[in-house]
Parts: sequence; structure tokens; C-alpha cells
Amino acid sequence: MSKHTEVELTLPALPQGWEAEGNFKALGKVTKATERSIEPVGPHFLAHARRARHKRTFSEDDK
Amino acid sequence: MATTEATTNGTMPNDRHTIGISFGNSNNSIAIAVDDKAEVIANEDGDRQIPAILSYVEGEEYTGQQAKAQLIRNSKNTVAYFRDFLGQDFASIDPTHSHASAHPQEHESTVAFNIQDKADSETSTVTVSEVATRLFKRLAQSASDYSGKTVNSAVITIPTNFSDKQKAALITAANNADLEVLQLIHEPIAAVLAYDAKNEHSGSDKVVVVADLGGTRSDVAVVAARNGIYTILATAHDYEFAGTALDVVLQDHFAKEFIKWNTTDPREEARSMAKLKLESEATKKALSIGTNANFSVESLAEGADFSSTINRLRYEMIARKVFDGFSRLIEGAVKKADLDVLDIDEVILSGGTSHTPKIARNMQSLFPKATVLAPSTTPTAINPSELQARGAALQANLIQEYEAEDIEQSTHAAVTTVKHLTNAIGVLSADDVFTPIIAAETAVPARRTIHISAPAAGDVLIKIVEGGSHIKISTIEPKPKDEADSDDSDDDSDEEPEEQREKVWKVGTVLAEASIKGIKKCGKVEVMINVAADLAVTVTAREVGGKGGLRGNITAP
Ligand SMILES: Nc1ncnc2c1ncn2[C@@H]1O[C@H](COP(=O)(O)OP(=O)(O)OP(=O)(O)O)[C@@H](O)[C@H]1O
Ligand SMILES: [Mg+2]
Repeated sequence: MSKHTEVELTLPALPQGWEAEGNFKALGKVTKATERSIEPVGPHFLAHARRARHKRTFSEDDK
Repeated sequence: MATTEATTNGTMPNDRHTIGISFGNSNNSIAIAVDDKAEVIANEDGDRQIPAILSYVEGEEYTGQQAKAQLIRNSKNTVAYFRDFLGQDFASIDPTHSHASAHPQEHESTVAFNIQDKADSETSTVTVSEVATRLFKRLAQSASDYSGKTVNSAVITIPTNFSDKQKAALITAANNADLEVLQLIHEPIAAVLAYDAKNEHSGSDKVVVVADLGGTRSDVAVVAARNGIYTILATAHDYEFAGTALDVVLQDHFAKEFIKWNTTDPREEARSMAKLKLESEATKKALSIGTNANFSVESLAEGADFSSTINRLRYEMIARKVFDGFSRLIEGAVKKADLDVLDIDEVILSGGTSHTPKIARNMQSLFPKATVLAPSTTPTAINPSELQARGAALQANLIQEYEAEDIEQSTHAAVTTVKHLTNAIGVLSADDVFTPIIAAETAVPARRTIHISAPAAGDVLIKIVEGGSHIKISTIEPKPKDEADSDDSDDDSDEEPEEQREKVWKVGTVLAEASIKGIKKCGKVEVMINVAADLAVTVTAREVGGKGGLRGNITAP
């Protein structure tokens, strides 16, 4: 599993009557992105290229 | 010599002995990586910064420091500052720096030098490509002597604005020296890699400014580093404010001193000028270490010896225009990237001129929130003259086992051109404060995980939102002065209100909501966000150590 960042914050309390199937509601979409070039350099790029070329996801890569 | 495969035009991985090369207009340098650690190696003269100069004396070839010394007596047969001529036609080169050495000539579709490179007195026309090949041979030889193996392949650093023709010409020149070019990598990225290899936080998300201040040019790159994936957001280049401009400041200073006691201007005679130039550079370098430096030349002009001293403060004063030029260039690059100085987390000072303490100080005040990586500000800084060669060697070490064809395919635009997030994605706290999980300008696919400490027990709402940052400017009115202690403060009375700038988040689109119930007191919530190549998002959340958890999808835009 990949590493994580630790943060400290108070999450909002669940409002009365909040209900969703699977406890999850999708409400919007990510803003359109810009196409840019990543530099083909370094160990993390190598891992990216491997995933891209073998069409693997992060979690398949973890195994 | 190892066998060369005609099909891949590359050395077979097992036969490779690879180095990293920084190939500049002023200096070359070579590094070898062993076990993920890169080391810059010295040539036979003991130099790690090898002047990129080729000189011939009665048919004998000299490079490096020995060739540089020939600029005084044998400038006609000495070729210097030529890297940027590779792959260019004569009309597009800037010959400024070749005045005091062999002059570049138009030769067919390329650039060449007429030099006497053999024992007889005939001159030959040596193309810039051939000059580069001869220097590559010398560099490979130094590396082979050092490592005891025949070095036959390299990763070489290039400026971010090298054209395809310049890249092709560089590769040809290296190939002709029996060096397979595993990959050309951008100079600023090599510098970032050299630092990240050493730093356990290399996986962090940060915006890095790389200021590469060399001899004949200064290059700036603003780089988004996202978990070790690097994207260049903007670049800027300048050919006026660079190391030699600082030499000129000192040349003028000492020439004027000399004229006070003598009748001729040493700048008006070629040999005097060459001596003035070499010693000014040495004085400049000494001022990076000491607060005082000597300048001393035997028979500078009219047969008169000359020596003088200068202190650092005075130098910083007379060179101020050049230092300001560096700052403007660097600030301009940040603007070009649509960023603010407060967005910058790290400033890497690279290139020989970056040894200068004043430049590091200027960067520290220009970028109040950034770590400035330079010898005078950070004790653990890597020698700025070694960053590129080190980065190149680390990259060489990473890819040397791959077939040339594999490297080619992985560096292809189909693999390197990807979407980058416009906004950050993060969570909202109870009082609507945004905390980013994935930064803007992160290349996708990307995945990040955070652990949120949740002090209170109970049911919580996780709000996944987009966030954009902007700079908030507020003015702080100067405190009214107490009459009592202001008897001599007339000119302070109408003090300007102070401007305070800070980076703040603005909450954008709400992407999703999720709930986690029954969290224990002082529990932790783990949120993982995975953005796919098409910007579809998968959110998973759970209580750390708890059972179950949720997983939700947000469709691609
Ligand atoms: N300790 C030092 N203090 C100040 N300046 C230095 C120091 N060491 C080297 N320099 C200067 O750095 C410059 C060379 O920089 P670098 O080695 O990065 O060259 P380069 O990349 O080959 O240059 P170019 O910009 O010409 O391509 C020279 O002007 C040199 O005088
Ligand atoms: Mg350089």
C-alpha cells in the first residue's frame, strides 16, 4: 500500500437525515484538465510508464 | 568495444558501462552512479568541472583546464563555448563568446572552426560536431580510466529549449565518440532528481524553481513535482545575465584600477584581456568563499605586474545590475507559470554561478516560503556545479538495463502526454476549511491517501471538494506612534501601510459526500482518492482499524 499524509482536522458531524446508498453520493465532476508533458525521468516515472504500457492500475501494481 | 546491434542501434544492456554527462558551453562534468549513489569524478588533472575547451599545440590535443590556459597564448587554435552551435546553421548562432578563441565559420550547412590541429602548419576545418566528438572521447576516456571499464554509453543533459536538430546533432557527436546515448534529459530535471534521490521526502508534492545559472546562459524552470513525477510548467532563458557578465564587472573594475597607475587599458590588447578575464573569474570564485579576494596578474599590460584586492560587499555592489537581472528572470518564470512566489516550495540553485552567496540571499527574500537549496543557505546542499551530472548518472543507473527500444517507447509522447488536474482535490472541515489531498497540476492517473484524526466520537460527513488557491492581500495600517518616543521620527510619521500577502484556499465544486458512522473517540479516518487517466474519481474511506468502509465513484467529466 502506498504511503499517506497525516492531517488533523474536525470533520463535520453527519447532518440529521443524511442518507445515501453505500454511504456515498456523487455530486459533481472534476474540472476539465490540461494536457501536459511529464518528464520521462526518475523512478516514479518508470513505474508510471510500466503501468501505462501494461494498462495496469495502481492497485494491480501494488500486488 | 562492445558489440553494437544494428537493429536497435544500441549497445546490449549487459555490455553497457554507463555514465551521466553534463555538457555545457562552459564546463563538462561526468558522474557515475553505483548503488543509487552518484559521484562526480575528476579527470586526469583532478578537475570535476572540466572546461569545455579543446586546444592544439603543435598537434598535441589539450582539454579542460590545460586548454583554458591556452586562451592566453594560443587562442586561434583553441575552441571554446561551442555547445549551443551544435545542430544550428551559421546564421542562427550567437558568436559573442568566441571572440577570444577560434572563430566559428560557416561551413556547408553547419558551423566549423579553422584550427591548426596537426603537427604540420596546415590548418584544418573542424566542424562543431567533430569538436564535440573529440571532447566526448576525452570525457569517456577519463571515465574509463577512473572505473577501469570501457565506458560506452551515457545519459546527457540538455537545456529545455534545445531543438530536435540540436538534440540529433548532440546524439550524432556522442555516437561518433563510440558513446551510445541512452537518453537526453532536461538539465533542470536532472538537478531535481539529484536532490530527490537524496531526500526521503522525494515523494512529496511541491513546486520547485530550478535556477540554472551558468557561464554564458541562465535558464529557469518551474517544475511541479508530484510524488516524484515532474512536469515543467514554465521556462525562461537569458543570455545576457550569466556568469561571464559577472566576470565583465570585475574585469572593468580591475582594468580601471590598473589605468590609475599605468597608461594602457588592458582591455584593449588581446593577450592582456585574456589574462584579465581568467584572473577576474578566479577572483569571482574566491569571493564565493571568502569575504575578500586577491587579483594578481604578472605582466598584465605594458609588462607591468598588477595586484589588487576586493571585498565581497564592494563586489555585490558593483555587480548589482547582474544580480537583479537573475532575480527578474526567475520571478518572470514564476509569473509565466501563472504562479505566485508564495506558491514556490523549493528553489534549487544549479550551475557554477549559483555558488554566489548574494544570489542565494536574494532568492531567500524573493521566495519567503521556500527552502533555498544553495551552499550558503543550506549546509546539506549539493554542489550546484555537480547537480546535472549527478542527475544524469542516476537516470543512467535506472535505465541501463533496458533495451534501447524500450527506453524509446517509454519516453514517447503517447506515454508522457497526460492530463493534469486544474484544481486541487481535498476535504472540508467542520468550519469549511479546505485541506488538499491531491494538488493542482498533478498528472493523472494519480492516487493519494490521507489519515484524518477525528477528535470526537460519532458519525462524520466527508465532503470531497475541489479547491483553488489564490493570494489574499491585506494591508496592515502602521501602528500610531507614541508621541513620547518619537522626538526624531519626523520621516516615519507617514509610514506606508504594510502589505501582507498570504495564500488562501477557495472552495470550488463539491464532488461528493460520504459518511462514516460510529467512529471511536480519537479515531482516524483514512480517505483515498484515485483519479484515473480520464479524470474519473474513485473515493474510498474507512475508519483506520475499523471494519468495512465505503467506496464510491465519480464519473469522468
Ligand atoms: N565558486 C564559484 N563562484 C562563482 N561563480 C562560479 C563558481 N564556480 C564556477 N562559477 C562560474 O560558473 C560559470 C560556469 O557555470 P557551469 O559550470 O554551470 O557552466 P555551463 O553550464 O557549462 O555554462 P553555460 O551557461 O556557458 O552553458 C562560470 O561563469 C564560472 O565562472
Ligand atoms: Mg549549464
